[in-house]
Amino acid sequence: MGATTSVHRTIDAVWRMESAKVIAALARYTRDVGLAEEMAQDALVAALEQWPAEGVPRNPGAWLTTTAKRRAIDQIRRRENLHRKVEEIGREVKEATPDAGEGVDDEIGDDLLSLIFTACHPVLGTEARVALTLKMLGGLKTEEIARAFLVSESTVAQRIVRAKKALAEAGVPFEVPEGPELATRLASVLEVLYLIFNEGYSATGGDHWMRPELCAEALRLGRVLAELAPKEAEVHGLVALMEIQASRSRARTGPGGEPVLLLEQDRGKWDWLLIGRGLKALERAEALHQPPGPYYVQAALAACHGRARRAEDTDWQRIAALYQVLGRISPSPIVELNRAVALSMAFGPAAGLALVDEIAGEKALQGYHLLPSVRGDFLVKLGRTKEAKAEFEKAAALTRNEREKVLLLDRAAACG
Amino acid sequence: MRFMVFVRSPIPLAALHGEALVRAGVLLDAGDLVPDACGVSGYWLIDVRDAAEAVERVKRIHLPACVVEIRQVAVV
Repeated sequence: MGATTSVHRTIDAVWRMESAKVIAALARYTRDVGLAEEMAQDALVAALEQWPAEGVPRNPGAWLTTTAKRRAIDQIRRRENLHRKVEEIGREVKEATPDAGEGVDDEIGDDLLSLIFTACHPVLGTEARVALTLKMLGGLKTEEIARAFLVSESTVAQRIVRAKKALAEAGVPFEVPEGPELATRLASVLEVLYLIFNEGYSATGGDHWMRPELCAEALRLGRVLAELAPKEAEVHGLVALMEIQASRSRARTGPGGEPVLLLEQDRGKWDWLLIGRGLKALERAEALHQPPGPYYVQAALAACHGRARRAEDTDWQRIAALYQVLGRISPSPIVELNRAVALSMAFGPAAGLALVDEIAGEKALQGYHLLPSVRGDFLVKLGRTKEAKAEFEKAAALTRNEREKVLLLDRAAACG
Repeated sequence: MRFMVFVRSPIPLAALHGEALVRAGVLLDAGDLVPDACGVSGYWLIDVRDAAEAVERVKRIHLPACVVEIRQVAVV
């Protein structure tokens, strides 16, 4: 490996580790997340120019922060009405030399938390929140986000530009929300993290069933959030849910990349370290004695599977009861569909089919491939293979995932 | 990618400020190894994107008079 390549790899790693902290520290002074992100990018460009020749500084995070702050001062100076901010930042820069100190800032927790809440602000659309979170908190490049979501680089770039503009126009403050606002804002943050995780875990498009890099990033951000907000049970609930779901990644696909359903998975391939971590996160949530939220209940559901060393050891009655709790907290036909599966496992396929037929008319389930897929499964178990075949074919026509389509068509063919 | 970081130090692992790895969301596991003639030893198991990040993460931890070995964990 050439020296320049080696330095570039180091810069990539440093950027992934430090970018969120650099942006957060800068946003605290500028009160403008968009400007902070741009200046951090400028600092990265400066690092790419200087470090290969001069070497990587002893404290690269501090170097990036200081460089970005200097760029911010230049930028702000050009905006004549912001002299006061220039003085404030100028003082900070004088106090911090690029190579001094222990890391960028070990006390940066609040800034990072503010950045998370800003990037996931409900004023932004879902796609914008996801793109901004991955860019500003995950340190992903625009091209990496585009690749992960199977969209063009320019689409992602536009989403980010528009999101920053929307934040500025709405005057979103750079702060951690308090009081009643906290719950709504936290829900928005958790939603974004789980969306990123799910996009990686059950890819909605493309040839691959999973995109592990998205799962890993969502999980890492969830763990960071759990350290920053340790008194929020739902944060631990989400982390538990993602840890346990991620534990099954290696078992979810067969040798040809085809999906393997939960009950057919080789549990020897499950990552028991992640399951253990998930169960611990669940305990942390329980220890807070807060009313159960949707992520906590979903994690408790995942834990029922995670605790079963063999599929036949699964406590389906507890799962059915937990789905009932989930249905009360977050009423949804999809939760009911899952409850139908649990009921069929606990009390037989007829019990599941009865509930599926009850909810089949729900508008939200029209066009949802898992409805005919689940119905087909119950019908097979009841020996009604002709009807089952039609259901699997219907499900195959509805899914957008190529691997899943193949699996469903195989199931249809097996019905004769 | 997972990397096992073996640390040989005269100081117990718990005193080595590995909490930065927890705050960064990359520490999966940590533990002590049976002490030998060279002193107390322990390990961190971290989940990062590549070897360069593993090295950079460990470099940020103040490790006085330590011998550190970073090895990638094979994926089965």
